[in-house]
Amino acid sequence: MNVNGPQIYFTIPGIGITITQTAVSSFLVMLILCTVGILLGRNLQKRPTGPQVLTEKAVCALRQLVSDAMGAHNVHWTPYIGSLFLSSLLGSLIGMTGFFRSTTSDLSTTATWALMTSVLCWYHSIRNFGLGGWLKGFTDPIAIMTPMNVISELAQPVSLAFRHFGNVVGGSVITAMIYWALAGASTAILSLVGLGGVIGGIVLLALGVFLLFRRKTHPSKAMLVLAVVCLGVGVASVLDATGILPDIPILQVGLPAVLSLYFDLFSGLIQAFVFSLLSMIYISNACPAPEEVAA
Amino acid sequence: MPQYESFIGIDQWTVLFTLVNMIIVFVVLKKFLFKPVTKMIDDRQKEIDTMFQQAGDAKTQAEAMEAEYKQKLATAQQTGEQIVKEAVARGQSREEEILRQATKDAEAMRSKAAADIALEKKKAINDAKNEISGMAVAIAEKVVERQLRGADQDRMISQFIDQLGKQK
Repeated sequence: MNVNGPQIYFTIPGIGITITQTAVSSFLVMLILCTVGILLGRNLQKRPTGPQVLTEKAVCALRQLVSDAMGAHNVHWTPYIGSLFLSSLLGSLIGMTGFFRSTTSDLSTTATWALMTSVLCWYHSIRNFGLGGWLKGFTDPIAIMTPMNVISELAQPVSLAFRHFGNVVGGSVITAMIYWALAGASTAILSLVGLGGVIGGIVLLALGVFLLFRRKTHPSKAMLVLAVVCLGVGVASVLDATGILPDIPILQVGLPAVLSLYFDLFSGLIQAFVFSLLSMIYISNACPAPEEVAA
Repeated sequence: MPQYESFIGIDQWTVLFTLVNMIIVFVVLKKFLFKPVTKMIDDRQKEIDTMFQQAGDAKTQAEAMEAEYKQKLATAQQTGEQIVKEAVARGQSREEEILRQATKDAEAMRSKAAADIALEKKKAINDAKNEISGMAVAIAEKVVERQLRGADQDRMISQFIDQLGKQK
């Protein structure tokens, strides 16, 4: 088992720009989002049909979400939050293709996004409260809390970045470990069966066939399952013993698909949502309603 | 042998690419997706609001017009009734006048006819008197075969006829 960082495809010589898996996935995600976005935003009709209905529904839902989380005066942040959410979601899901690495399983990506949000927060805090007001905010509620507040402010982007990165990469590490464990278990079972050699395999095959025939007179589901298992293991052990197909990882079928459903699809969606929601909360703290600033 | 970045690490170029890609995604989505879609939704909302407003206005106007027409109709009905009543009254008075006139005319005609009849009767009686007297004279001449004198003759005839009228 080996868990690596993103592979470096090549380094442009001279200036030393490295093109990694993450960079390729990132460009792909950008291209897909831009293409789909432009296609969906074209030819809008007063009376919507087909995809436009869904697009409008999605945009409305996002606007509603941003409006609820950040207040109605911050609804103009919708495109930024939407871009973050979609980039994160698609960046995670692109790992499911098997050809590309998830952009979000690279700390560089999540750290960039987290820093973007933090820089925006700081910029808007200074613009809304003034430099003095912003610095004074760190002494809140009492001056002695200043170091804590500074640390918590700095921890914001770090926690954002590591949360997203950790969840996605943790999922892929667990998946890799399970694959590795399942491969080991398959080998162990096959070698155990292989102890009997060709003879054992043939005996198992014969038993399976016998059970299948017996089922005709005594129908029972348990017997069918037993027969299929005998046949499968028999075929595998014969192939294994004759050396045609050594070490088929038979246990790797099935379970990883279910895990992928959780770690890639569900976790990707949740992390994209969490990242966007936290970004919204941080930014809305920096951009309170105009009447609150005046107060 | 493929090279790998460190598992937990930050690569400056990846950061740059991610940043650039994010900015491109943001700009493109904002310009080509969020802005037009939001604008479309807002426009539609505005249009619907306007339509509802117009419909409300039209309804109010229609109600006002209905009330006005109802009033006008009521007025017209009243006026019509008035006109009919007046016409009937006028007709009745005219009828009475005509009847009265007719009665008067008829009365006049009857009295004139009566006068005419009386005149004619008198004339006829006079004619008959003259004729009868002539006839009587002729008969008497023939009967008595003698010539009476003009004055006596006439007096006698008159006496005779008067007696004849009284007897009758």
